[in-house]
Amino acid sequence: MTTTADLSLSYEAAPTFSTPLRFFLTAPLFGALAGVVLLFVPDLLGSRWTPGALALTHLIAVGFMLNIMFGALFQILPVVAGAAIPNARIVAGIVHVGLATGVASLTWGLGAGSPPFLNAAVVLLGITFGVFLVAAGYGLRRTPIAQATPRDLRFALLGFGIAATLGMALAMILSGGLSLPLATVVKLHVGWAWLGGSGLLLAATSWVVVPMFQITPNYPARLTRYWALLTCAALVAWSAAVLAGFSLLEFILAIALAALSGAFAITTLRLQTRSRRSVPDNTTRAFQLAMSCMIAGLLCIVAAHRFDHDVWPVLAGILILHGGFVTAIVGMLYKIVPFLAWLHLSQAGMKAPNMKKLQPDGPIRKHLIAHAVALAVLLIAALSGSTLVVRTAGVLVMLEFGLLFANLMRVLGAYRIARSA
Amino acid sequence: MNDITTLMSHDHRSCDESFARAETAISRGKWDEGTAELEKFIAELETHFTAEESILFPRFESVTGMTEGPTKVMRGEHADMREAVERMRDAVSRRDKDDYAGEAETLLILMQQHNMKEENVLYPMCDAQLAGENLPPTLAKQLGREQAA
Repeated sequence: MTTTADLSLSYEAAPTFSTPLRFFLTAPLFGALAGVVLLFVPDLLGSRWTPGALALTHLIAVGFMLNIMFGALFQILPVVAGAAIPNARIVAGIVHVGLATGVASLTWGLGAGSPPFLNAAVVLLGITFGVFLVAAGYGLRRTPIAQATPRDLRFALLGFGIAATLGMALAMILSGGLSLPLATVVKLHVGWAWLGGSGLLLAATSWVVVPMFQITPNYPARLTRYWALLTCAALVAWSAAVLAGFSLLEFILAIALAALSGAFAITTLRLQTRSRRSVPDNTTRAFQLAMSCMIAGLLCIVAAHRFDHDVWPVLAGILILHGGFVTAIVGMLYKIVPFLAWLHLSQAGMKAPNMKKLQPDGPIRKHLIAHAVALAVLLIAALSGSTLVVRTAGVLVMLEFGLLFANLMRVLGAYRIARSA
Repeated sequence: MNDITTLMSHDHRSCDESFARAETAISRGKWDEGTAELEKFIAELETHFTAEESILFPRFESVTGMTEGPTKVMRGEHADMREAVERMRDAVSRRDKDDYAGEAETLLILMQQHNMKEENVLYPMCDAQLAGENLPPTLAKQLGREQAA
């Protein structure tokens, strides 16, 4: 009997260090670029619909978040789901270049309102998503689905696929190549990108990562068993309500989705209070901030439905993307990268410095503080509308992503020193 | 507990808690208590490895005929963890708190990525392949008896 799981668990099946790392090192550059945009286009936070806000959102969501999520998936699919991506190195090369050029093109297309750039983004990101989803789907095709995480990873990939398709449709509407109701497609795109893709991936990862690394009790079995199913079902029903124009049903389902997301965030926070580890590490702190921001962001979404003011959606976007996803992702990155350095060193038969020598706590803490300050100033900037505060936020965002990049390079430096020793 | 995945995953969590008890004591500079907790953790970890290496893996290998497959990878990772545990012991004997924290962090992530592979891939495969073998009571006895000793 042979299954894909036979070999996928071995070190030999794990991708080379450069496979995930190229994504991890590119992502902070797009984050820093978001800071540059804030610095030079300070009126963009006035509404979620300004070209600058759209560009900014995609620099963070696609340029930063998706870059890291893709890089991490190349690494974790074999470990968590027993699914090895075939020809990972070549696939990663295509996905990495496609994503970087695609998001650059998309950002310029959105920010400058340029149809040729939007069209180029559709082609580049279309190829990127297509290649990644086919390769991941191929790796996953015969692996066991006994646990919640491998199943939910499949849902997340499906969610990303739907969000990407809707996003490409939107870019084509904006460039004049497709005639569809813009507002409806935007709504669906945001719903699927946020919850169907990113939200499901974060939850699927958390089911495993929180209990294991923070040594907490497991998530309640009912939550891990039904959360992703319910969220997907509610998303499908909500999409149908949006398409049919049933606004009351749409509102009720949006509240249901917010409640589901809130249940996930609150459960995570409660589990963390029961951690057996006496000293919360940086990842735990990052998760606490992320989950609190998610909850605050959800409240802003509810407020946006209730009060017709442009600030609520902007606050929700900052809290959920920068406060929620970016923080959680950074927290996990600081576990993954030094471990990979350690793993590749020890497997090459070299003496690997321990995790804290490869990635000391001090610089991580500095970065997390910079990130939290940038978040606070961003929120003040959105509330006050002051150009000066927005520009300050821009500088802080550049700084925080610069620190993240420097910290990751530090691990790489320590890795190289150990390799040459 | 009626299946291998549940039983063995539960034992993983139990090892984690012992790991955290040692970490807590040592981070507070309670070296004697920390040393004792670390030894308890190591004993529990070793019991778990033995249950797998002497009962679960051989059954899996003989039923599936796969001796070069996932169980070989898991045995290799057990060896890596045994080495990591020795470095923790060494740091404790030198009363080096920082070094212990770094080595413990290294073991924790090594152990958890190993657990993920077992819980998400290998144990479900064992449950599927060894359904008629009624292994859980034997494994539970091994884990429980040695833990009590």
